[in-house]
Amino acid sequence: MDAFVEALPSEVESKLGKMVSDGEEVLMQVSTDLAQGLDYGEQWLVVTSRRLFLFPTPGIDDAIEASLEDIREVRLEELVGAGKIEIERRDGPPLCVPFSQSLAGKFAEVAEGIRQLSKGETLSLPTEVDRSRCPECGRLLPEKNGICAVCFKKWETFTRILSYMLTYRSKLALMIVLAVITAMLELIPPKITQYIIDDVLTPRTGYDLLFKLVAVLFGVRILMWGTGIAIRWLSQWLGHRSIQDVRTELYQQFQFLPLRFYDRRKVGSLISRMTNDSDRLEMFMVGAIPFIFSNILLFLGILVLLFMTNWELTLLVLLPVPPIIIAGRKIWNRMIRQWSRWGAKWSKLNAQLNESITGIRVVKAFNQEGREGDKFDEHNEAVREVSVDGERNWFVFFTITNFMMSFGAFFVWYFGGKQILNKEMTLGALIAFISYLWMMYQPLRWFGELYNFMLRAFAGAERIFEVIDTDAEKFGDDSAQPMPDVKGRVTFRNAQFGYDPGKPVLKGVDLDVQPGEMIGLVGKSGVGKSTLINLICRFYDPDRGSVEIDGVDMKEAKLEDLRSQIGMVQQEPFLFDGTVAENIAYGKPGAPFEDVVKAAMAAEAHEFIVRKQDGYDMKVGEKGGKLSGGEKQRISIARAILHDPRILILDEATSSLDTQTEKKIQLAISRLIEGRTTFAIAHRLSTLRSADRLVVMDDGKVAEIGTHEELIEKRGIFARLVETQQATTAIMGVGGGKDDPAAVVGK
Amino acid sequence: MDEPSNQNEFADNGEWKPSPIEVTHPEIVKPGDIRLFHDPPWRLRMTIEGDRSYLKIKIVRAAPLTQPDDYICFLDLKDEVICMVDRLEDLAQENHKIVHSELDQRYLTARVERVESIRNEFGVSYWLVDTDRGMREFVTKNVAENAQWIDEKRMMILDVDGNRFEFAGLDTFDKKSRGLIEEVL
Repeated sequence: MDAFVEALPSEVESKLGKMVSDGEEVLMQVSTDLAQGLDYGEQWLVVTSRRLFLFPTPGIDDAIEASLEDIREVRLEELVGAGKIEIERRDGPPLCVPFSQSLAGKFAEVAEGIRQLSKGETLSLPTEVDRSRCPECGRLLPEKNGICAVCFKKWETFTRILSYMLTYRSKLALMIVLAVITAMLELIPPKITQYIIDDVLTPRTGYDLLFKLVAVLFGVRILMWGTGIAIRWLSQWLGHRSIQDVRTELYQQFQFLPLRFYDRRKVGSLISRMTNDSDRLEMFMVGAIPFIFSNILLFLGILVLLFMTNWELTLLVLLPVPPIIIAGRKIWNRMIRQWSRWGAKWSKLNAQLNESITGIRVVKAFNQEGREGDKFDEHNEAVREVSVDGERNWFVFFTITNFMMSFGAFFVWYFGGKQILNKEMTLGALIAFISYLWMMYQPLRWFGELYNFMLRAFAGAERIFEVIDTDAEKFGDDSAQPMPDVKGRVTFRNAQFGYDPGKPVLKGVDLDVQPGEMIGLVGKSGVGKSTLINLICRFYDPDRGSVEIDGVDMKEAKLEDLRSQIGMVQQEPFLFDGTVAENIAYGKPGAPFEDVVKAAMAAEAHEFIVRKQDGYDMKVGEKGGKLSGGEKQRISIARAILHDPRILILDEATSSLDTQTEKKIQLAISRLIEGRTTFAIAHRLSTLRSADRLVVMDDGKVAEIGTHEELIEKRGIFARLVETQQATTAIMGVGGGKDDPAAVVGK
Repeated sequence: MDEPSNQNEFADNGEWKPSPIEVTHPEIVKPGDIRLFHDPPWRLRMTIEGDRSYLKIKIVRAAPLTQPDDYICFLDLKDEVICMVDRLEDLAQENHKIVHSELDQRYLTARVERVESIRNEFGVSYWLVDTDRGMREFVTKNVAENAQWIDEKRMMILDVDGNRFEFAGLDTFDKKSRGLIEEVL
């Protein structure tokens, strides 16, 4: 519970110490960021096992106190840009705890905690709250609970990245050795040039020596060329192979992660870990790791040789380096801001273009072509302005840095030249010095770029490792209870569940469903029907209470066995890019073709399939794009029939279809549900007439249970729903006649 | 509000034909009939004289950015709209203070008066500002893209947590603040 016990300021702590009595345990102590008058300021909310205190600071003498027993209701109210907990007491005004949006997540939990305690329940809160800031440096995390791009443990990340390459250690070792050899070889040519100038060209003697020196130069170049090729090949091999391993591990993990993991993350962000993040990591593995050692060696080697050649000149050359770095960084920061502005303007232009083209029908229908054109012109002009500005700054940046970098060369020529004239230095040594100087820029520039490159790659690696390190579902857990033959009895015992803390969706569901029974789940949107289904599939576990299958708590049962006996037909069936036959056999790979056809026949899909040119071998396209909604739906029913589950879920399986198609699908469904425990959700109440019992959900609880007729007679929520639906259908003029089963109300 | 609006027409049989909005929202409330009061002192109630009374209500703005003082909506306990008043002055004078106070409690937009500093890193801007509610630090992402301009001199920035900061009268800001804002926008 540490996340909800924050360190109190000393004055509040001493005041609290005097107020809390013996045996009274402090359970939560959290700070707000809004004062009572809604100005920015701190208040402290302390909840003990008996009481609740609110300390406004400063002026802590005005602490407000309330007994937990005195609390009637705890409400979390969303305001605009803020929120508040309203604690209603049996006597006196409610207690308000305001907070800004920044603390909304924390106070949602706190409200839930106070609610639990006021009802005499045990405090049960998550041990952590979502983090959007780095606890170390306060920087914004790239995503909730993500990794700070600056504070993460770079060395650990580096060694972990390296560990993927260490699988292929002999090739890695060979590559490092070759890189070191290449770095050493690179130092040789300027030195040979020096000998050629000083010992052959200047005295104009020594053909043999010239031949030998040129031969060595040639040999060194050939060797460098050979090692260079070998390093490239090895680094590509190692990098691609290692990243393939990373991707495989990541993908495997994606398959077995619990749905809760996906709830809190955007699909795009997860896919980008597989694409962008792994790309960055790959570039780092291929383009950086092999050259780290060689560039360090090269830099140190050059520095030593420069000092050995002429230490005074070397110091002079290094003199302008610090100002170059400082000035460069300043200009660079400005450039980065410029680029982000340029990116923002382009993004607005793109958005405008995308919107007007996607919505071209609406634009034309409302005769707004001119206005859209004007808007585009405005964005286009903004892009031009910022582009010109950016180019100008870029030009200035380049001119200044190039000019500053050439300072080193001026120094060398002037002071080096003077030393030659004074016979303190040879011409060959000067030429070698200049060569080394230019060579030194290469590893320097490389290391300059490496830091940014490394930060991006490491941040990507951390995001990948975060997924890999998340606990996966215990799919094939051998310690769990095996359930190879599920009968199909489903029992909810006071099941409570919410996707977000403090916002329960199911508030205590009790329901016992017999094997083979068909249950129709009814209720307004958002009352918890789909959530109930999610618990049956064990996509989520209840926060409190339990869901049992054949009397076994689902948490104890082997997930692999459970899922293999639960089937689902969804409102928008998801087909994979493959053939019709492959999609039908998705839940039972390798099923005989005859079984696939039988399932298709039972699902009323056979007829339309054989009418297609390629029949069962027809490619359905991405997400089944080449099929109509009704066709996709029938294929998904065939898939469920072939899967032969004991428990079947029909989630709005027929809602988006026309009446004729729906009739065919109803027929298919009636075959499908035979002998299986079925849970069906449908907004069109008429489709649930065949249900054995209807369960009416309201406000996260089961409000009514009974047959269609019983519930109509009861004249409760269900009857009102039917009445409303009948009235709506009549207004829309598309039904509501005597044929509409919803019309039973009037009978 | 009870008079037929300009959109209304008379049908062929001479009867008054309601506008589409009056078909879906047939209830007409005269602003003068609305009485707001607290009972008990911490609970806002509303009575439409001669018609009905609500034990707890909520007051919201229909267009909080562009029409902050007009088009005021009254919602019941279930957040369903009871009615909307086009102009605040249409309400009885004694209600004005209550409406203003309720709206101030609901809309927590800090009005920025001065920008102390803006630090930019990795596409994220860290602001330190002085507002009418006190000093505050906040963080924005892609601020140039996300700033919502209400008019030429007034804009709203939503920080990464959803807190709102209004920059009104940008031309009256001090030189340093203007420079910092211009740099990120």
